[in-house]
Amino acid sequence: MQILSDSLIGAVTPRTDAPAKAAGRIQFTSDINIPGMMYGAILRSPHPHAEIVSIDTSAAEAMGAVCLTYEDINPVLYNERSVSIPSATYRDRTVLPKKARHCGEPVATVAADTQELAFKALKELKVTYNILEPVFDPMEAMKDGAPELYDTIYLGDEAVKIHNNIGVIRNIDEGDCDAGFKAADRIFEHHFELERIYHCQLETKGAVCKPEPDGSITVWATAQSIHANRQLLGRILGLPLSKINVKKLPFGGSFGSSIQVNTVTPICASLAMKAGRPVKLITSREEDFYDHHKYPAIFDVKLGVSNDGRLTAAHVKAVVDFGAHQIQPMAFLGCTAGWFASLYKYDGNIRFDGIAVYTNKTPCCAMQGYGNPQINFAIESMVDIICEEMGFDPIDFRLKNYRGPGEEFWGQGPTIRSIIKSSGVEESLVEGREVFGFDERTAPSSKNGDIRRGIGLARGFHTSGTAGPKEGEVIDYSSATIKINEDGSVDLITPVTDHGGGTCDALKKIAAEVLQVPLEMIGLSPAETMNTGYDVCTHATRGVYCGGAAVYHVAMKVKDKLLETAGRLMAEHAYNLEVIRDDRLGQGVVQVKGYPLKKMTVGEIARQAQIMSWGTIAYTDSYRQRNCPPCFTTHFVEAEVNLKTGVISIPRVLIYGDCGTAVNPDLVKGQLIGSFNRGLGYTLYERLAYDGRGRLTNSGLMTDYKMPTISEMPSVEDIDVRICHTYEPSGPFGAKGIGEAALASVQAAIANAVYNAIGIRFFKLPITPEAVLKELKKKARER
Amino acid sequence: MGHADVNIKINGENRKFTCEAHISLLRLLRDNYYYDVKCGCEKGDCGTCTVFLDGKAVKSCVTLAAACDGHEVWTIKGLGGSDALAEKLQKAFVECGAVQCGFCTPGMIVAGLEYLKKGGRADRNAIRKAISGNLCRCTGYVKIVDAIFKTAREVESEVSE
Repeated sequence: MQILSDSLIGAVTPRTDAPAKAAGRIQFTSDINIPGMMYGAILRSPHPHAEIVSIDTSAAEAMGAVCLTYEDINPVLYNERSVSIPSATYRDRTVLPKKARHCGEPVATVAADTQELAFKALKELKVTYNILEPVFDPMEAMKDGAPELYDTIYLGDEAVKIHNNIGVIRNIDEGDCDAGFKAADRIFEHHFELERIYHCQLETKGAVCKPEPDGSITVWATAQSIHANRQLLGRILGLPLSKINVKKLPFGGSFGSSIQVNTVTPICASLAMKAGRPVKLITSREEDFYDHHKYPAIFDVKLGVSNDGRLTAAHVKAVVDFGAHQIQPMAFLGCTAGWFASLYKYDGNIRFDGIAVYTNKTPCCAMQGYGNPQINFAIESMVDIICEEMGFDPIDFRLKNYRGPGEEFWGQGPTIRSIIKSSGVEESLVEGREVFGFDERTAPSSKNGDIRRGIGLARGFHTSGTAGPKEGEVIDYSSATIKINEDGSVDLITPVTDHGGGTCDALKKIAAEVLQVPLEMIGLSPAETMNTGYDVCTHATRGVYCGGAAVYHVAMKVKDKLLETAGRLMAEHAYNLEVIRDDRLGQGVVQVKGYPLKKMTVGEIARQAQIMSWGTIAYTDSYRQRNCPPCFTTHFVEAEVNLKTGVISIPRVLIYGDCGTAVNPDLVKGQLIGSFNRGLGYTLYERLAYDGRGRLTNSGLMTDYKMPTISEMPSVEDIDVRICHTYEPSGPFGAKGIGEAALASVQAAIANAVYNAIGIRFFKLPITPEAVLKELKKKARER
Repeated sequence: MGHADVNIKINGENRKFTCEAHISLLRLLRDNYYYDVKCGCEKGDCGTCTVFLDGKAVKSCVTLAAACDGHEVWTIKGLGGSDALAEKLQKAFVECGAVQCGFCTPGMIVAGLEYLKKGGRADRNAIRKAISGNLCRCTGYVKIVDAIFKTAREVESEVSE
């Protein structure tokens, strides 16, 4: 996997889909238009907890609307997320429920000839509810006598009784924690709380479904996995998979919001099948706010430290309020345990007690980091506290204790592990110390005035994919098809979806580099479930590392075929030939090694192979990675706190990303900067507040939710983004991921900088101006 | 609800519509296949639906379609084919890495274009202010500011030549 000096890999190239996006010519789900289509709308529960006694659809039907309630839809019990293996997947929901378990849960649905008519028909649906007592607080929910959301659910095919709303318990114990704490000189214990937040991807979720004359159905939907959508629709609609075709589409940001088959998709498909006509169903922003959230978390963390600066044991207790349905809190707890276990060595003594609780709130799903930003905030805040109280240098302490090359990394909970082979941690901490002037920071007590500045740092990571040498709880492989056309251009067909970060652009570059064709000669074919092999999902920062590895694998096979075909035409042994990119000719050239005068263009070879009826130079296969390398990040942050207003701003930040080989450095930097912005929102502003009746207080408004605008971002000159110089031996051209890692350490870095500014430690996010003023007042009283 | 006859010049073409009197300009545009105008919230929050109305950037979701009778609308698709400055800005968005998922991009470019058309300088603070009504969840805005800044500087150097 040698990288040539004029390699496309590592070169800054404008992403190839950008011109069409900048021209407004890219088709998203909501832009799909089919003649004769109907418009769908969903009636959502106004109650957080209510049995549905009856739904009268007669008035709506009299208006010409097609209606569906729980009585009409196949009551398949499922989990929207299907990246875990079936035996490790909890199933608790149907497409439309008999009992609403959160405000905004779909209760019934209609389709009509126009959107106006659909909304009018929705108003004519008469639902009789038997209102039940709701429960919103996870601690209350676990008490005896609390309202219960479920009686029985399923784990795989096994029935599971639910007691006290406890959905999942996951305890992990390795090494000898008791001995580790006994060996410690100091024990540190703290309590952390992180709020629910919302993805706020700019495109709301939706679907367009079209029944075909042969009884099959074509589906366009916001989806991170087209194959997961097809498989679930097959079960719900009772159709063979060959009769369901889900199209891959670009989507308007995701951040995890479509890791599952979105609730709207089977609703839309069922409407279309009943109506026998195409149906378009695009949710409103307010509906989307009630669809999925990021997991909140409550942690109690205990760390043992020796006087020589070694972490000796760690114990994390986690309580997670995951809402009304399981979109795999079991995997969430496992992953959270894994991120925690992989951050530091703790002498191998770790304990994790996780408990996930049902409440009458919106279900939680993946959102950039899957527990990683949450637990990172707790652990990296604690490391700062330990260093402060015991007098250790925060950088040396981290370098001494972190899990690095040769050590084990849990890529997706306890069952997916591999050995770390590349790490940019040392480079980022050692160089960052100098570049940011970290050692010049002064103690909080030495600062005066109403405007105070502080410096903080935190480090983190995320996995690249969910594959290990041994198979575990999570499915991980990808597929690709590549063919060489008769003019030397290349078609790449991949089921891998692109959230907007440029994953598919990276896949194109990988194929172009292996086959030595100019980037503009690679076409990304429209992909759908009918013409692609399986890919589990673009999640877990696996797009480039796993999807890219499948493309690399298939491209290498195509290259073999190309050289073999060229050998026949040129009367040379294939091993005596090489393919190189000729930018002047605008395509690849196969030549005799060491004798470039004997050569043929790739186009000529493919054309001759066609004329001789030898066949198309093409290959299709699936490929599985066998590692889950961590991509590391480090954030150095300067925070400014206004003591009069409590407002925090960020004048300066230095970000390190370790993605192995950066396939496109500009896109990597784009990921790191974008994630910093989202981290800023998570740390300082964003919070989904519920009123006492199970409703969100922001009323579906993005501005009230306080997602950061440009005004909150540090000014451009003061964001320094650097890519570590690492090479991941198991990755395509040395690449691993970056996407989710880019967020992991933002929160703790900001909180640590705030501490350094004003000497106040925040254990809860967000650190709003109100929270700052409250703590300042408390501190003044104590003085 | 009553209906309204609305004559609007869209992307240089005179169009005549009969629409329900209460619908927004965004609805009218998307119902008539101007899919380059994106719908992110329909509440005036996000700015994805920003278009030019008589040369002024407006959020089309909070603009009444009927009130646009006799007026002129330009969307990103139309601007791209006919406005040199728009094309320059689109190119800068591509080159600067200002495009990720692309959903906010059409509205963001219209907002940036309004700034440039009003004679906005290559001044990052002023640019930040100009696009502060448009949300982007992917990029962190930095490269979007870069793209508008780059275009402004190009315009300035052309003027001084």
